[in-house]
Amino acid sequence: MLALAHSQALVGIDGHPVEVEADVTTATHASFTIVGLPDQGVREARERVRSGIIAASFRFPYERVTVNLAPGSLRKLGARHDLAIAVALLAATGQLPKHRVERVLLLGELALDGRVRPVPGALLAAETARRGGIETVICARASAREAALVPQIAAIGVDHLLDAALWLRGELVLDAAEPAESAHEDEGLELADVRGQPLGRRALELAAVGGHSLLLVGPPGVGKTMLARRLVPLLPDLDGPRALAVTRIHSAAGLLQAGAGISLRPPFRAPHHGASAAALTGGGVGPQPGEVTLAHGGVLFLDELSEFTRPALEALRQPLEDGEVTIARVTGRARFPAAVQLVAATNPCPCGGLGGCRCTTERLERYRARLSGPLVDRIDLVVRVDPPDPEVLTHDRPETTAIVRERVLAARAHQVLRAQTCDNGRLELGQLELHGIAEDARRLVEQAASARSISARGQVRLLRLARSAADLDGAGAIERTHVAEALSLHPRGDGL
Amino acid sequence: MRLVTRASDEWPPQLDHLGRAAPAGLYVRGERTVAELAASPSVAIVGARRCSRAALAFTRTLTAELAARGVAVISGLALGIDAAAHEGALACDGRTIAVLGCGIDRLYPRTNDDLAHRVIAEGAVISEWGPGVEPAPWRFPVRNRLVAALADATVVIEASRRSGALITADHALALGRDVYAVPGSPWSELGQGTLKLLRAGAIPIGSAADVLDELGLQITVQTTAAPPTGDAGTVWTALRERPRSRQALAVLPGLTAPRAAAAVTELELAGLIVLEQDGTLVALEPTVSGVGYTRRDQGV
Repeated sequence: MLALAHSQALVGIDGHPVEVEADVTTATHASFTIVGLPDQGVREARERVRSGIIAASFRFPYERVTVNLAPGSLRKLGARHDLAIAVALLAATGQLPKHRVERVLLLGELALDGRVRPVPGALLAAETARRGGIETVICARASAREAALVPQIAAIGVDHLLDAALWLRGELVLDAAEPAESAHEDEGLELADVRGQPLGRRALELAAVGGHSLLLVGPPGVGKTMLARRLVPLLPDLDGPRALAVTRIHSAAGLLQAGAGISLRPPFRAPHHGASAAALTGGGVGPQPGEVTLAHGGVLFLDELSEFTRPALEALRQPLEDGEVTIARVTGRARFPAAVQLVAATNPCPCGGLGGCRCTTERLERYRARLSGPLVDRIDLVVRVDPPDPEVLTHDRPETTAIVRERVLAARAHQVLRAQTCDNGRLELGQLELHGIAEDARRLVEQAASARSISARGQVRLLRLARSAADLDGAGAIERTHVAEALSLHPRGDGL
Repeated sequence: MRLVTRASDEWPPQLDHLGRAAPAGLYVRGERTVAELAASPSVAIVGARRCSRAALAFTRTLTAELAARGVAVISGLALGIDAAAHEGALACDGRTIAVLGCGIDRLYPRTNDDLAHRVIAEGAVISEWGPGVEPAPWRFPVRNRLVAALADATVVIEASRRSGALITADHALALGRDVYAVPGSPWSELGQGTLKLLRAGAIPIGSAADVLDELGLQITVQTTAAPPTGDAGTVWTALRERPRSRQALAVLPGLTAPRAAAAVTELELAGLIVLEQDGTLVALEPTVSGVGYTRRDQGV
C-alpha cells in the first residue's frame, strides 16, 4: 500500500516542500530503504522511526518498506523528516487515515521512545505549508508557537508520535498554538553603566542615528565590548519585512528561543576572531548562512579586529558593501541577506598600549599597515577608548539608554520627514547636498581634506556622519560644528 | 656628488677644531657650498627618534623661526627630531645640512627619502664615508662629532637618559661650544636626557627667541596671535594647564561631548593643539610665523 505525507527541507534559509512517499509490499525478506538523496542523518531515521512506532504501540511492518523523499534532486539533511516518515508508514499500513495525513505538514525528530523533538526552521516550514495550500503543521510542542507566527496556519504542538497519530485519527483534540509574542526590550544593557567614556557613548549615539560603522580603539579591558553591546538597545525596532526576514534567518539557524516571536529587535553577533571566512559569510553543505547573515538587520561586532585572518576580512568586504552574500557552490549559487552595521574593536598597538607603549616604530607601522587593510576603509567612525582617568570618572554624568534612545528616534524621525529611504550612512553626495550644507561647513571640509589628505570618498563619509550630528541637533542644514565633530571621529591614516 | 678636502675653498673651517679627529674629507651632495651653508650663525638640532608629537611641532616651529632669521640648521636626517629640524628649515627656505652616518649614496633611513632629496636640492647632505658604506650602529655616534663641530651651538630637544643626542652634546662641550636644552617633564623618560644636561650646566631654552638671544643675535619678538575664544578657548586653556585625553575634554564644565569634539578639530586644524600617540592632546603656543605645522610624516 502506498501513502503520502508532507515534510519540508531547509536549503540555507529557504524552505522547500518535500513529499514523503511510503510503500509497503509483501516480500520474502523484510527491508527498510530510504531513497531520494538522503544524507546520513536521514538514513539513520530508519532506526528512530522503527523504535518510535513500536514505542507508540503501533505495528511496524516487517515487510518490504520503501520510503521516497521527493523531489529527488534536493539533498535532504538531518532528522527533520522523522515524524513525516513515521506517519507516512502508519498511513501506508492502514493505521492512520490517508486523507487526513495528506492535509498536514509534519516536522520533527523522533526519539527512540517516540517523543517528538524540535528541529530548526518551524517558521519556514509553516510558510512552506501555506505556499503549498496546507493549513496545518504538526511539530514539536517547543516549536509550535514559532510555526503559529505564519498567518492562517494552525500549528499543532505534540510531545509524542502517539499524540500526532491520535489527532490524525480524530481521537484526540489538540488546540492550535498561539503565535509567540515579540520582545520589545533588550535586556539589561544600560548605557549609563559605561562610565568615564563620554566620547564612546556619543559615538554610539551617532552610529545609532545614521547606521555608521564604528571602530573602537583601546587597550584590553577598558570596556570596548561593553560599549559595542550597547549599540543595539539604541536602535529602533525592525520594520515589518525586515523583522520577518530576521526571524526567518534565526529560525533556519535554530537561534530562535522557544516561545520567542517575530524578532523586532536587531540582532547582535560577535564571532570569535578565529572564525574562518566560511563561518563569517556562510558556506558548507547547504550552504549554511554565516555570521554576517545571522547579524542581518543588526550589529556585527568584530572584537580584536587585527587578529582576524586576512582572508576572513577580505570575505566580509563584499557583503558589507552590497548588504547581501553570494556564495557560489557546485550545486548552484546561494544569496543571503547581510545588511549589517559593523562595529569593530582593536588594540592601539601590538603590545596593548596599557601603561605606556613599548612597541618599536617598525612594529607599530607593520601593525597599522595590517589594520588599514580590507575593512578599515569601510569604517565611518573611530573612537579612542582609554582607561578613564579619575577626573573623567568624577565629572562624567552618563545618560540612560532610554534618554539617548529617545534622542536617536527623534533624529531618525527627521530622516523620515525629509522622505529619506536609507540610513544616513548610505546617503550619496547629491542627497547630502539636497538636504543642505552650510557654506562654512563646506569650507571646513575642504580645509580638512587638504590638511589630512581625505579622499573624495572619505569626504562623503565625513558628510554622512555630519548629517547624523545635524539630525541629533534638529538642524536643517549641516553646519560647521557638525562637520568639526565628525572630523574628530573620522578615521586618520595612523589608526588613531 | 663631490669630495671636499681641507685644501678646498668649500671646507668649513670650524671642522678643524676637531684636531686629529677631523675627517680627511667630506663627500657632499647638493649644489651649495658646505662652508657657506654651515657659516655662523648655526645650530645643531638633535633629539629622540621616538619623540612626542608636541616635540615634533616644537622643533618645526623652532627651526623655521631660526632659519627665517638666517640661522643654519645642522642635523642628522634621522627619524623624529632630526627630520622635523630639516623640515622646519626647508619650510622657510633656510640653510640646512644633513650629516649622514653611512655612505654618501645611502640615504638612511628610507622613510626620509623625500626629505633627503629636498635637503640635497636646497641645502647639502654630507658624509665622511664614501659610496657603498653601510649604516652601522657605531657610525652614528662618530657622525655626531661632525654635527656638533659644524654648529655654533647644539640644541637638545627631548632625549632619554641614553640618547645619542647626549653624545652630540658631549662633543659640543669638548669643542667649547654651547649646549642648549629644552626642559621636559621630570616624570617623562624623554625629559631625563635634557634634565641631565641642564643639571650639568646646559642653557635652558623654550623658544627661537631664547636661542637667538643666546647666540647674541638681535631679538625681534613678534607678538603672538590672539588666543582662541569660545569652546575652542575653553579646551585650549584646559590643555595649557596640562595635556588631557579627548574623553577628559568632553566632561569639562560648560562643554558637551559633541561641542568639545568640534572644538578639538578646529584647534587641531589651526595648529594650536597636537594629538600624541597615546591619545592625549597637548596645547601649542599661537605664533604668527605661520610655518612648520604641516606634518607630512604623520599622515595627519
